[in-house]
Amino acid sequence: MSALEPTTPSASKRAGWAWRPFALTAPALLLLVAVLGYPLLTIVLRSLSEPQWGAQNYVWFFGTPVNLTVLQRTFVISAWVTAVCVICAYPYAYLMTAVGPRVRLALVLCVLIPFWVSGVVRTLSWVILLQDSGVINSLLRSAGFDGVRLIRTQTGVVIGMAQVLLPFMILPLYSVMRGIDLRLMRAAQSLGARPLRAFFTVYLPLSLPGVYAGAIIVFILALGFYITPALLGGPRSTMLSTLVQTQVLSLLQWGRGGAMGVVLLVTTFVLLALAAPVMRSRHREAGRR
Amino acid sequence: MRLKLGHTACVALLLATTGAFAQSKPVAGEVAEGSLKGKTLTFVSYGGIYQDGQAAALKEFVDKSGVKLLNDGPTEIAKLQAQVESGNVTWDVVDTDDLPPYVYCGKLFQKLDLTKLDVSKIPEGQVGECSVPAMNYGVVLMYNKEKYKDNPPKSWADFFDTAKFPGVRGIDGSGSPTGGLLEQAFKVSGGDPKAMTVADIDKAIDVVRKLGPDTIFWKTGAESQQLAESGEADMLMMWTGRAMTAVKNGAKYAPAWQDWLVVMDQMTIPVGVKDTDASYALINAYLGKHSQEVLAEQTSYTPINSEAQPKVDASVSAFLTNSPERQKQGYKQNFKFWVPNFAVAQEKWSALMAGN
Repeated sequence: MSALEPTTPSASKRAGWAWRPFALTAPALLLLVAVLGYPLLTIVLRSLSEPQWGAQNYVWFFGTPVNLTVLQRTFVISAWVTAVCVICAYPYAYLMTAVGPRVRLALVLCVLIPFWVSGVVRTLSWVILLQDSGVINSLLRSAGFDGVRLIRTQTGVVIGMAQVLLPFMILPLYSVMRGIDLRLMRAAQSLGARPLRAFFTVYLPLSLPGVYAGAIIVFILALGFYITPALLGGPRSTMLSTLVQTQVLSLLQWGRGGAMGVVLLVTTFVLLALAAPVMRSRHREAGRR
Repeated sequence: MRLKLGHTACVALLLATTGAFAQSKPVAGEVAEGSLKGKTLTFVSYGGIYQDGQAAALKEFVDKSGVKLLNDGPTEIAKLQAQVESGNVTWDVVDTDDLPPYVYCGKLFQKLDLTKLDVSKIPEGQVGECSVPAMNYGVVLMYNKEKYKDNPPKSWADFFDTAKFPGVRGIDGSGSPTGGLLEQAFKVSGGDPKAMTVADIDKAIDVVRKLGPDTIFWKTGAESQQLAESGEADMLMMWTGRAMTAVKNGAKYAPAWQDWLVVMDQMTIPVGVKDTDASYALINAYLGKHSQEVLAEQTSYTPINSEAQPKVDASVSAFLTNSPERQKQGYKQNFKFWVPNFAVAQEKWSALMAGN
């Protein structure tokens, strides 16, 4: 009988419908609260309560020069990695939109296969390539050049991290570029714009959302990197996560480790908040044009 | 009546013997047949060939006692602390570095009841309040034979002298500072390690810092071995086990034994384990002659049972540290100084590691 009831939903039923999407996300929300919210809260609490209640861990953090040096370095390295990723990923993602399906598949695989290999393995491959007696230096020497020090330098760390993080840049860029109508470029050119001009006034602004999305993901992931700087870097390229590890695992100072994590998180939020208006206005500008 | 008397005497005698048996001194390496049947013990160490060797050394104990042995690791004091604090300790016997059992004695590690262990064959001065040694090894100065040829470095003073001995240095940057190395560095700066103060730690670290930006701080034993085998560093501070393996694999390096740093791993029982006696039984078996021979044969680390006669080939015995000659050349760190100053030293060392 019930199957014959009219299908138009009543008002109360409609109100029930509004909750459906939330009900569907419940598992994800629960997981988020359980594996992100709760531990984060614990970290914040421990940073304020160990060994006693108070701001001692934060006072210690900002009163110790090495922490500030490393915090600054963490942001500088991440910025470099982001820049390298943008420069390498942009032409690559563009190429992906310009070629036929078969070549595109090959290009996608070139991005994804390294992505499926563990970061540790990829970093160790970089050790083999970059070390003083490694592939790059032996090639340089056999060609008659002096060797260059790559491993245990900031350059080495940036190279390794950029390679590990490249897919996070290419994929969002590609998904945005795919939606750009290439006929717009032709239209611009038919109106007299040279190819470069057409690119900078039409294509680049339209692709910027992809650049921003990728850059933010890469930058934030880079801030927390641990393995790559540990294996490819030296003391002068230590990042904050290594210091957190020392505090927690070697010194059992959970409070200090927590404070370091909170400082990194808050600084990241502040930077994003500062960057957000710029990005938004650019979007609008791009839309208006 | 007589029968009853006899019966009582019999029971008394039986009680007396079992009582005597229970209170009899434990013998290293021995465990009663089937005594731990149905029980499970979790042994925690640092993995790799070392823990494989330890598992092999404990095989006899497992077979005889009937215990189920689980291996876990690597040892992380922070993880142990989390277990002790939450009251849910799943690690029954833990192999640690040199210092933690002294720094956290009574807090994370139980004070040991030495009537439950046979420590009579352990080399003198190695039994702590909360630990017995797990094995001995050394931190040794290894140098590139091809680089230094006829004028090799002979001591840590040469290691820190980049004017007389140019070249890249490799230092243990795996975490905690090595007290012995800092003492040697302090000696180079003109100080007396026996009278070291907290302020002197900075002086010692400055000597290390002066080695320059090319200095490699290796993160793992495997990395140190790789540095030797690829010839990346000209002088390396190395663990003897890794040095032995590197040379075996063809690294053209040789040791300078003068003042090699005496180090050891420790066996401990965490506070709050469920079955303390079972943990004691494991350690007591581990200390036995046969167990230590197996361990040394498999890992090349020096056994801590003085009666152990491991059968090893020349390449391994060259790096064992228990010969009379090596014992004379060894340098023991000032434990009394480093234990209370562990956190300070760690902090200063970490700052060096972070490039400051």
